[in-house]
Amino acid sequence: MKPELKIFAASGQLGYGIPEDAFKRGVAAGPHVIGADLGSIDPGPYCLGSGNMVVGGEALRRDIRMVLEAHKSTGAPLLMGSAGTAGRRSQLDAVLEVVESVAKERGLKFRMAVIASDIPKELIESRMDRVKPCGVVPTLTKEELARATGVVAQMGVEPFQRAIDMGAEVIVAGRSCDTSMFAAIPRMRGYDAGLTMHMAKLIECASSCADPGGRDAAMGVIGDGYFTVESMDPKQRCTPVSVAAHSLYEQSDPFLLDEPGGTIDLRASKYEQVDDRRVRVTGSVWSPTPYHVKMEGARLTGYRFVAMCGIRDPRMIAELETVQTETRKVIERTFKDSIDPKDYSLIFRNYGKNAVLGPVEPDPTLVASHEIFVLIDVVGKTESIAKTVCGVAKQFFLHLRYPGILCTSGNVAHPFSPDVMPAGAVYEFNVYHLLPVDDPCELFPIEIRNVG
Amino acid sequence: MQTLDQIAKVIRSKNAGPFCLTLDVLFDKLADYQRVLAAQIITPEKMADLYQQPVANVQVFNHERALAMKVSLVRWTPAGSLTDTDIYGAQQHVLLYKLPVP
Repeated sequence: MKPELKIFAASGQLGYGIPEDAFKRGVAAGPHVIGADLGSIDPGPYCLGSGNMVVGGEALRRDIRMVLEAHKSTGAPLLMGSAGTAGRRSQLDAVLEVVESVAKERGLKFRMAVIASDIPKELIESRMDRVKPCGVVPTLTKEELARATGVVAQMGVEPFQRAIDMGAEVIVAGRSCDTSMFAAIPRMRGYDAGLTMHMAKLIECASSCADPGGRDAAMGVIGDGYFTVESMDPKQRCTPVSVAAHSLYEQSDPFLLDEPGGTIDLRASKYEQVDDRRVRVTGSVWSPTPYHVKMEGARLTGYRFVAMCGIRDPRMIAELETVQTETRKVIERTFKDSIDPKDYSLIFRNYGKNAVLGPVEPDPTLVASHEIFVLIDVVGKTESIAKTVCGVAKQFFLHLRYPGILCTSGNVAHPFSPDVMPAGAVYEFNVYHLLPVDDPCELFPIEIRNVG
Repeated sequence: MQTLDQIAKVIRSKNAGPFCLTLDVLFDKLADYQRVLAAQIITPEKMADLYQQPVANVQVFNHERALAMKVSLVRWTPAGSLTDTDIYGAQQHVLLYKLPVP
C-alpha cells in the first residue's frame, strides 16, 4: 500500500497574485510537492512571438516569494513551468532573475534546475517529414517555419523528473504541459499514471474545479488506486459534478485528453463525495501513445495603432457604415501613390453591433443602443504605415459629412489624447504542430545552479 | 417555451488551443440534463448552423456523469489573428442562451 502523496497547486497562474489565506492553509497541510504554472497559450500569440512578458513587476515577485518561502518551510520540491507565459528563453531568464533576486533578498539557498524549451529551427527542419499538424492547422512548411520568431515545445513530465534525479529542489522550466509540474513526482514514484495525470489536469487551474470555482490554491492527494481533490479555501466545495465538469474545461474532447506519450482516458472515471469538501476519483486510465511534443510558434504580422471612438449622435449611428465605407475609400485615394492597400489592414470594430461575435452575430443591428463604441484598428507592415493610416482614418471618420448630419464639428468623442495610440507589434500563430521524439528529454536541456 | 439559459447552470465558451472553440453547458439536475438531451437542440448539425461551420468541423459530446454537454468547433478565425474578436473565446457562448427547450 502506497502512502498518500500531497501535491499542492499554489496557483493557476503565478504572477497574478496568489490568494493568501488558501495558500497558507495549503502550506500548513504539509505538501510533498509544490507545483505552479506560470503560463499559457491563451493570451494569444503576442508573448510567444515577441518573447516579452505580460506579467511581472511586484505581482510576480510577490508570488515567487510566497512559493519559495513555502518550499523552504515545507522542504517540498517546487516545480514551476511555462515561465513568463510562453516559456521562451527570454521569459525564462526574466523569471530566473526574479527567483534569484528574491532568494538573495530572503537569504534562501537551494539547488535549482533550469529547463529550456526553445527548439532550434534546424532541428525541426531536419525532422520535417515527421512533423504533424495539431488539429485543423496547415501542414508546416520550411518557409512558414522560417517566419516564426521562435519555437517552443511543451515538455512532459520527464525533463522535470530528470531534474529531480539531478538533485534539484527548485525547478524553473520553459514551456511545459500544464500537468507536468504536478504529475512528475508522483509518476516517478510509481503512482498510477492515469490517476496522476487526471489529478494534475484538475489542480493545474487551482480551485477552478470547486463549487464555486475560484483561483485559490488546491490540494490533490494521490494514494493507491485513487486521488482526492480539495480547494484550500473553506468556502469552496469540490463536488462530483464540479470535478467532473472541470475535467472537460478547455478540452476539445471531454473523455480523452492527449498528453505527451499517452492519452488520459476518463470514460470510466468515478467521482465520489468523500466529505463535505473533497471528492475522490477512481478509474481514470492512461493509454500510452507514441511520444510527441506540441510545438508552438508565432510570426510577426505587423504593427498596430488604434483609435477609440464613442458615438452618441443617433444620426451618426444610423449612417455609421456609410461613413466607414467612405473613410476607407478616401484613405485608398489619398495614399494611392504611396501606400499599397496590401500593406495594411483597417478594421472598424463596431461595438454595439457585431464586434464580439463577428460574422456569427445573429443580430447585427445598431438601432437598440443610444451609444456605441467604435475601435479603429489598423495593422500595418511598418509602424509608420500603421500610424499614418490610423491617423488619417481617425480624422476622416471624425469629420466626414453624412446624409442628415446636424453636427458639423465632429462625429465622434475620443476619450484620450493622443487619440491615435500605438498598440505594439502584432503576431499570429503559425506553428502548432506535433513533433515525435525518441527521448522525451532530448529537446529540453537542464542546467543546474546553486542559488544562495 | 423555456430557453436553455433558464435551465442550465453554466453556459460557457473558451478556447481549446488557438484554433478550436469549446462550449460547455452544465446542469445541476439530472432531469434537466435529460430534458435538454431529449430535446435534441445541441446537435452537430444545429451547432454547425449556429456557428456557421461545416458539420465536419463540429463535435458534440454528452457527458451524463458531469451533467454536461460539450460542443467543440473550429474557430472562424484563429485566436489572435487580424480579424479575431475574442482572444480567449470567452464570449462566444451567448448564441446558446435562447435555444428553445420544449
